Amino acid sequence: MFTESTFVFIALGAIFAYSFYAVLVAGQLSLGQAGFASLAAFTAATLAPSPKDVGDLPALLIAIVIGMSVGALTAVILGLPTMRLRGVFLAIATLAFAEAVRILIINMGWTGGAQGMSVPKVVEPWMAWVILALVAYWFWRQAPSRYGRALEAIREDELAARAMGIDVGGHRLSAFVSAGAIAGLYGVLWAYYVRLLAPEDFGFTKAIDGLVTAVVGGSTTFFGPLLGSVFLEMIPEVQRAIGIEAGWIRPFLAGLLMLLVILFLPGGLASLLPRRTLRLVSGTAIDADPEGALGGLAQRIHPAQGETVVDLVGLGKDYGGVHANKDIDLHITGGEVIGLIGPNGAGKTTLVNMISGLSKPTSGTAEVLGLRPGKAAVHKVAAAGVSRTFQHSKLFARLSALENVMVGGHLVGKPTFLRRLLWLPSARRDERRLVLHAARCLERVGLAGKESTAASALSYGDQRRLEIARALASDPSLLILDEPAAGMNHVEADALSALIGSLAQDGLTILLIEHNVGMVMKTCSRIVVLNFGEVIATGTPDEIANNPAVVEAYLGSAEPEDAS
Amino acid sequence: MQQLLNGLFIGSIYALFAIGFTLVFGVLDRLNLAHPAVFAVSAFVGIELVEVAGLSIWLTLPIVFVVGGLLGIIIERVAFRPLKNRPDAHFAGLISSIALAGMFIALLQWRYGPNTRRFPADSFPSTTFTIFGAQVTLLQVAILVISVVLMVALALLVARSRLGRGMRAIAENPTAARVLGINVDRVTMTTFAISSALGAVAGALFAMNVNSAQLGMGSAIELKGLAVIIVGGMGSLPGALVGGLLLGLAEVFAVQYLSSSWRDLVAFGLLFLILLVRPQGLFGARKVREV
Repeated sequence: MFTESTFVFIALGAIFAYSFYAVLVAGQLSLGQAGFASLAAFTAATLAPSPKDVGDLPALLIAIVIGMSVGALTAVILGLPTMRLRGVFLAIATLAFAEAVRILIINMGWTGGAQGMSVPKVVEPWMAWVILALVAYWFWRQAPSRYGRALEAIREDELAARAMGIDVGGHRLSAFVSAGAIAGLYGVLWAYYVRLLAPEDFGFTKAIDGLVTAVVGGSTTFFGPLLGSVFLEMIPEVQRAIGIEAGWIRPFLAGLLMLLVILFLPGGLASLLPRRTLRLVSGTAIDADPEGALGGLAQRIHPAQGETVVDLVGLGKDYGGVHANKDIDLHITGGEVIGLIGPNGAGKTTLVNMISGLSKPTSGTAEVLGLRPGKAAVHKVAAAGVSRTFQHSKLFARLSALENVMVGGHLVGKPTFLRRLLWLPSARRDERRLVLHAARCLERVGLAGKESTAASALSYGDQRRLEIARALASDPSLLILDEPAAGMNHVEADALSALIGSLAQDGLTILLIEHNVGMVMKTCSRIVVLNFGEVIATGTPDEIANNPAVVEAYLGSAEPEDAS
Repeated sequence: MQQLLNGLFIGSIYALFAIGFTLVFGVLDRLNLAHPAVFAVSAFVGIELVEVAGLSIWLTLPIVFVVGGLLGIIIERVAFRPLKNRPDAHFAGLISSIALAGMFIALLQWRYGPNTRRFPADSFPSTTFTIFGAQVTLLQVAILVISVVLMVALALLVARSRLGRGMRAIAENPTAARVLGINVDRVTMTTFAISSALGAVAGALFAMNVNSAQLGMGSAIELKGLAVIIVGGMGSLPGALVGGLLLGLAEVFAVQYLSSSWRDLVAFGLLFLILLVRPQGLFGARKVREV
C-alpha cells in the first residue's frame, strides 16, 4: 500500500512543517520558508562536493550544513527589516520574498533556469527519518524551557511579554532564524531525494502546504507537524488504496478533511492526544524547601529608604493636540507606597506607561532605577527592576496560571533550552527552582491550588491576582499596579491591601493606581492626585482628604458658576 | 499610448479583484483566501452561460455577480463564522478558506475537466476604436467602465448607506457595533457576499480579456491581489483601485522595457519596498494599539 517515497515524503513534509511551527509558536505567520528552502537547495547543490568523490553520506552532510547556513543567514537578512511587521503583513512580505527568490532563480544562469538542475539521489528513507527525529527532538526540548515559554508568551500577548523583560525583537528574530535553518534543511533533503531540482518546486503552493501541515497537525505541541504530515500524505494513499481514482475527488476530500479538522479540532490533530500539563507534585514541596527556591531566585537588592527610584522632571505626553500628561514632576524614593488617583481620563495610565517605558514622553525627562525609559527598551526597564500589571488584564490566556507566573520569572530564571537539549541535570534543577518560585508567588497572592488552570478560565478577581503574582515573579524593585482592585469586593480589596503592605515591608517600592479611594488612603504612605494630565496635589492621605482642589476634581465645584 | 491603455485595462481587473479582497480585510480583519477560487469559478460559469445557454456576454455578468454573492455567503457560513470566537481565528480562517478554495477548484475540475476553456468564437463584439493612435476594442472599454462603475458604487455604498455605516462600525469595534443594535452577523455575511460578487465579475472579465480560463487562474492572480492591497493599504478601497492600476501599468511597462520573465519581480520588489518604508500602504491608516 505504501511505497518508499510515501515514507520519505511524510518525513520531508513534517520537516518543512516544523519550519512553520518554529515561528507559529511565537505567533508569527511567515510564508517565506519556500524561498529559504529554494535558495538553500540551489546553493548546496552547486557548492557541495559530488557524492561520487566523497561518498553519499558525507556529501549529504556537507550539503545540509551549507543549506542550513544559507537558510539561517537569509532569515537574518530578511528578518532584520521585517521583524517589526505583524500578522498578515509579515506573511505577505515573506511571501513576496519567496516569490522574488523563485523569479530570480528562474532568471539566473547557474541554476539552470526554469528547467532547474539535476542532483544525485542520496537520501534514503532512514536518513530522512533520523533527521526528522532530530528536528522533532529540538522542539520537544524547546517547549518547556525558558526560551520556549518566552516564545509562547510573545504569541499570547506581545506587550505583556515585553513588560515581563522578554526581549521580543530578539526572540522573534531567533525563532525566524531557526525557521530559516530548518527550511534550508528541507530544501537540501528535497533536492537530494527528487533528483531534479526546479524553482517551481518552491512556489506559493508549497508554502501553503507547509503552513497547512503545521496548523492541521497542531501548532502548539511539538509533535503536531509530524501528525499533520502523516495525515496529509496519507489521504491520497488511502484514497488510492480504496480505489478512488477520479481526478477531482482527491483534492475535494483533502479539502473537506482539512476543513473538518480546522473547524472541529481547534488545536489541530495534536489535541486528540492528551497533553501533559506542568503541575506541582504536591503543595508540600514548597514547605520542604523553605529558603532554597525564593532565596535562590530573588536576589535583587532593593533601593534603600530615601534612595531615588523614580525621578520625573517636567514630563509630558501629547497625543496630537491633546495633553495626556503635562509638566509632571514626581520623585519617588525606596520603600514608598505611592497612590496615584484621579478621575477617569486624568492621565494615570499614560503616566505609568511612560515610567515602564511602554510609551515615549514627548517632553521632559524620566529616570527610573538609573535608566531612561522611552530611550531604553521596555525589556531593559523591566530588567532594571520595574514590573507592572495592566488595567485591562493582559495575561497569557492559553497558558496555565503557573506558566504565566513562570514567564513573569523570566528575568530571575536562567536560560535552560540548550542545557535541556543535552539533558544536563542542572537544567532540570533550574526549571524546578523556577516552578517553586512561581508557586510561591501564586501562594502569596492567594492562588495556591489554581496552578494548572488556564489563565482565561480564572474568575475576574483571580485574573487580577494572577497579574500581580506574575509581576512579583520578576523580583521587582518598583511594582506598578494599575487598578488591581477593580472588580474586587471589599474583603478581597482588604486582602490586597494587606499584601501591598507586606510587599513594602520586603523593601519594594509600589506605585498604586486605584479608584477605590478608601483602600488607597489606608494602604499608601503618600498620594499623588492627577486631573487633566497635571498633578493637582501630593501629600499624605490626611492632607489629600482635606485638599479642596482634590474634592473639587472628584465631586465637582460647590459653586458651578466659578468653575470656569 | 497603447501600453498605457493595456495597463489600465488589466489594472482595472486587478483592482476589482483586490477591492473585494481588501473589503473583507478592512471590515472584518480577515484574509479570505477562497477569494481567488471565486475568481476562477466565475470565469468557468461565465463561459458555460455563453456557450451552453447562449446568453450574450453582457447578460452573463449580472448572473456571475449573483453567483459570486452566493459563493461569498457559503464561504462566510462555512469557513469563517464557526471560527469567529477562537483565539487563533486569524490563522484558522486562512486555513479553512484555503480548504474551501481547494474544494471549489476540485468541483470545477469535476464539471469542466482540467483543460483550458475559451468563449465561443463569435461571442465578442468586433467593434474597435482608435484613441490617440491606439487600438482599443469595445470589450476593453467595457471592462474598464464596468470595473470603475462597480468600484464607485461600492465606495458610495460604504460611505453613504446604512449597510456601509454598519460595516464601518464593525471595522472599528465589532462588540460595540453589536451593542448598538447592528446585526453584526448579517452585515458580515453581506460583506462577504459583496466581496465575492466583485471578485466573480473580475474573474469573468479577466477570462474575457484573455479569452481563456484555467483551474489555476485564481492562484496566479492571488499574489497580485495581495500585492495590490498591501501597496494600496490594507482595507483601503481607493488604495486597492490605485494599487491595481499601478500594478497593471508597472507590469505592462516592465514587459516593454525589461523582459517578460522579470515582470513579476517588479511587482514584488515594489510590494516589498512599500512594506518596509510604509507598512500601512499608500492609503492605509496606521492603527494605534491601546495599552
